[in-house]
Amino acid sequence: MSAFHKMIATVKSALEVAPRASSPHAPFTADAVSASATPMHSPRQLLPVAQLARRAELTAQFARELDAVGGVFLGAVTPDEVRMRVVSLARELGARTAAIGAGVTLDADSIARALEHAGVAVIWPGAQGTGPDDAGRAAFRGHLAGCDLGIAEADAGIASTGTLAVVGAPNRPNSLTLLPPNNLIIVNADRMRPDLAAAIAGIGAETFTTKRVALITGPSRTADIEKMIVLGVHGPKKLYVLAIWPHEA
Amino acid sequence: MAAAKPVPIPDFLETSRKGVADADLRRKLENSTGRHLDHVAHMRAEFPGYDGERDVARSIKEDAIGRLDELLIELKKKLEANGCSVFVAADAAEARDYILKVATTAGAKRVVKGKSMTTEEIDLNPALEQAGMKVVETDLGEYIVQLRRERPSHIITPAIHLSKEDIGRLFADQLGIPYSAEPEVLTAAARERLRSIFLDADLGITGVNFAIAETGTLVLIENEGNGRFSSTLPETFIAVMGIEKVIPKLADLSHFLEILARTGTGQKLTTYTNFISGPRRDGEMDGPRAMHVVIMDNGRSAMLADPVMREALYCLRCGACLNVCPVYRRIGGHAYNSPYPGPIGSIVSPNLFGSAAAKLPFASTLCGACRDICPVKIDIPRILLHLRAKENAAEPPIKWPRDARRARAGVRRFASMARYPRTFRLISRIGGLMLRPFSRDGYLKWMPGAFKNWTRYGRDFPAPGIRRKPADKV
Repeated sequence: MSAFHKMIATVKSALEVAPRASSPHAPFTADAVSASATPMHSPRQLLPVAQLARRAELTAQFARELDAVGGVFLGAVTPDEVRMRVVSLARELGARTAAIGAGVTLDADSIARALEHAGVAVIWPGAQGTGPDDAGRAAFRGHLAGCDLGIAEADAGIASTGTLAVVGAPNRPNSLTLLPPNNLIIVNADRMRPDLAAAIAGIGAETFTTKRVALITGPSRTADIEKMIVLGVHGPKKLYVLAIWPHEA
Repeated sequence: MAAAKPVPIPDFLETSRKGVADADLRRKLENSTGRHLDHVAHMRAEFPGYDGERDVARSIKEDAIGRLDELLIELKKKLEANGCSVFVAADAAEARDYILKVATTAGAKRVVKGKSMTTEEIDLNPALEQAGMKVVETDLGEYIVQLRRERPSHIITPAIHLSKEDIGRLFADQLGIPYSAEPEVLTAAARERLRSIFLDADLGITGVNFAIAETGTLVLIENEGNGRFSSTLPETFIAVMGIEKVIPKLADLSHFLEILARTGTGQKLTTYTNFISGPRRDGEMDGPRAMHVVIMDNGRSAMLADPVMREALYCLRCGACLNVCPVYRRIGGHAYNSPYPGPIGSIVSPNLFGSAAAKLPFASTLCGACRDICPVKIDIPRILLHLRAKENAAEPPIKWPRDARRARAGVRRFASMARYPRTFRLISRIGGLMLRPFSRDGYLKWMPGAFKNWTRYGRDFPAPGIRRKPADKV
């Protein structure tokens, strides 16, 4: 404790040498946040058409940005069509095993069953001997290391950068979007935010304090060799994104 | 733990002279840094809000650094509330000793590291290795220089001084793969090699890009995914940060993220922005059992106390100033002999490493390109001049009256001939002929007496009064 107090005293006395230049910047952030954050349930009475148009605009922008960073946008499907689209992707990739985490707006169980029905072995966090105890975690890691496709639903998308915000949870571990070479991230088009500031505000301080959050922008990459870009260094080599287009506004 | 035996520090004037003479190095650096500058120019053109965000980011830093003591108290409280162990280190030795203690208590044998200049600064790897641990750098660039037993030469692109052929030869030798200079092939080899190392590791160590005081969250940005691996899989995780990394609120973060990758690599955002608040919670499968955060001073509070130096603490470690600096692009990062080379290195290294880095503030033409590209608008040239004045003040006093008289007399003599074109041409011709024995290819290799510094350390001085071949472009 005293080492910490000693450092604080050092820092304090260093600051006293010159007076603090500017006043706290609080006005900036308050305005910036309220200007760009669109709350999840807008108090304004938007016509359904206007809301759909906004959703389409953001999703289209997101698709362009995702493409620019080397991700693959699979399109937007209604909630009922999601299962089929996931199964057809697994078939295209020739995936034999897939790992899936709990959804945010989706029922991940039904997707898991559809995959199994199509002959893909599915790893579910908490099942098949996996779990939060030591043996369970080792089992999960082992399964995941040999898995072809990791599937997770994002909490939000960011249209301006083609980014997905994936929030970790006990049944949606972070490693789902890290170990498998192919990644499918599903995002609800209603959770598409215009920019980074809005997304961070929408997710909220409470989530950031208690959960492990990853903002994912495209497949893993490096430019360490002569500044030339190579995809798929440690994280996934291929990132697919599927948007859900809900019926109701 | 005993410190490593001190190695004689090469003289900067010597290392920079070698750097200048290395035409091969220059070509590689021009290649890579040129590519980076193109990306950055493109990004700035497509983001009209860029300059506005720079101002906001700078004012956030001004405020944060201005009340660093309050923020550090808040950060520590929140981190501990989230389940982290927080250690406050006054200097490199304390930081190293704490990390060693955590590692040995946890029985760690296999350590994976994410790229962290702060851990380079404290010379962590040799200390861990001496204690019998295997340490593997997992960032591809760091992995490459570790195999070559070298230091990184750039704070963002550690292997920027190497060509793909160099790396191909290195991997063929060290990893036993058939020679290839294809970046795809080399990257795939590293991915495969490091994957099993990640799965096996028991201790992960990374740096920190931002520490948010409001929520007690560490933000780690990266492109490869090795930071996520290092902070998620091993049972013990240690994050090492300098005191200046703390920012007040979650809402402040986007202002930095909007400019950092754009300037550092020319991307809108790096592939992964990781938010780490604490160790594994009940029921979770990912994350370390124990998480430690080392908050280190090591000379930063001294920078804080100096009103001119203070803004050096705003640095986001984007590396852009290195890529734009005419000196760095000629001599490369190793010539600086510091984990922080280039313009930002020239101002922080003397504060972190004392007299060993004393000559670095003189390694500048004061062109100001660094200040222009800096995302938080640090006035690096002003700080360089400030440090030069401090360094000169420490040296034996020059005899002002005598030297001032001599300088005035010399300038008067020069003016008397320069005013008359024919006289000037005649004297240049005579001077050129007299100095002919000392010139080669139209440049003087030696000058007498007080002028001798004009030709030392790789400087070019055109021989007067002689017609010259057009300068060769290297």
